Amino acid sequence: MTGLVYKEWKQNRWFILSMIPCGFAPLLALLLLREQITSVNNIALRIGGLIAGFLAAGALQMLVLRGDDRKLWGYWITATPDGYKGFLRVKYEMIFGMIVLLMFSVQFVDMGYCAVAADMGKADAVQISGIALPLCFVQILLRAIDIPFVYRFGSKKGSFVKLICLIVLVIIMLTFLILNIEHSDNIIESCKKVINVQNSSLLLSVGLVVCLALYYLSYRITCRLYLKGVEQYDH
Amino acid sequence: MTTKNKCAKPLGIYLLTVFAFMLLFVLCIKPMNASNTVFYIIYMIFSFSPAIASLITRAVTKEGFRDMKLHLKLSGNFKWYLLAFGLPLICFSAKFLLPVILSGHADWLGGFTAQNVLSNLFTLAAMSAVMSIGILGEELGWRGYMNRKMEPLLGRVGTCIVGGIVWGLWHLPMDIFGCDGAISDAFAMCGGRMIQLTLFGVFLMWMTKKTDSVFPAVIGHYMFNESQGALANLLYQGNIPENADLGVIADVFEFLPMFVVAAVFMVMLLSDKNRTSKTV
Repeated sequence: MTGLVYKEWKQNRWFILSMIPCGFAPLLALLLLREQITSVNNIALRIGGLIAGFLAAGALQMLVLRGDDRKLWGYWITATPDGYKGFLRVKYEMIFGMIVLLMFSVQFVDMGYCAVAADMGKADAVQISGIALPLCFVQILLRAIDIPFVYRFGSKKGSFVKLICLIVLVIIMLTFLILNIEHSDNIIESCKKVINVQNSSLLLSVGLVVCLALYYLSYRITCRLYLKGVEQYDH
Repeated sequence: MTTKNKCAKPLGIYLLTVFAFMLLFVLCIKPMNASNTVFYIIYMIFSFSPAIASLITRAVTKEGFRDMKLHLKLSGNFKWYLLAFGLPLICFSAKFLLPVILSGHADWLGGFTAQNVLSNLFTLAAMSAVMSIGILGEELGWRGYMNRKMEPLLGRVGTCIVGGIVWGLWHLPMDIFGCDGAISDAFAMCGGRMIQLTLFGVFLMWMTKKTDSVFPAVIGHYMFNESQGALANLLYQGNIPENADLGVIADVFEFLPMFVVAAVFMVMLLSDKNRTSKTV
């Protein structure tokens, strides 16, 4: 297992470390658009920077999967004592670690910004880490969806297949909505009943745990699909 | 060179480095009071000082950076991760709730609705997976380095006691800062915490040895910090009178749950040791 961790670190250390500058994105957004700053809070600008940082980090997280979609590597890693399951486990752990590192970096910068703002006499600067937390779990969920596609179909074909699946899903949902247009009021009412002020915190917390569970489920699915994927890799 | 001599020098360097960081914190209290930025920078450095000290010691003694127990070791150990999550929560639930229930004031627990409890439980579970990384700054030093160097010198019981005292003492500068320089208050706060940490340290040491990873200790430590806040928050949502005083029973339960945990895991630590030596 140590060998696999070493391999991932040597191969992807710059991608892993790039999570730290991604956490500085809200600060970068403030620096780049400093002429538009109206108050020290600049919450919209900082949130914009935060989302940009998360998007950049997401793209970088996907880059660590490049280069593993090769037949020879697939067969070789299956023959090692850790097997392909060990290899996939390290990949999943590494990507999870990257998300955690990003979150830590975001919090570090955010708290630093608020401390500096307080020294400037602007005690009303609020932290945006509260928004970063759901974004972090959204990122975990997105990776849980992305990774099985990459290993089943290869990195290029995988993104294409994922896109088709998403389009099909959207079409199905739209069709469902159009067919039930006369019951739309009932659907909205039942949604309002489920999501209300009283149980919103419970739903949110359950959602966070579900994201973690889906990430683990994604690992199990990838383990099932990996060898089928290896058979179909181009080279 | 014997094993004891091999461990004494790195342990000495490690403890000196940690106490140097403590001194830095104490010396910076005045500028920290004057500036939020200085406070933030010093606080962050100080929070990671046990880990930084372990890295410095490894570099100085040339023992290298292998075996830092940084593997997650999830397979086969997931149950211990769950225990690290659940045990502090159970302990603090017993500490906060049992005195209230036993003294016949269960009506104070109005905030403990199923919805609130579940919501807090799931939030803590999710947060402990993502937000506990900061605790690595402590655990990499205490469990990942100090305890391992102390054990050949002091034995398991000695390591738990002395390690707990060092761990508790390390928090003293923060207490001094928190008490605005009122030294007697800071020592009282530090003393209470030292007992709690010494007792809880037994569980964390057992957990680290069992899984050969510092991450369960990281989760346990995170839950030790956060579950108190979550339970207190739920308590405040109830209808507790302002002059509420539970008397002796609250004092008994202040340390009793943690003492039981420490006793159980100390027995397990010692029986594990006996089993290992018999096998050898």
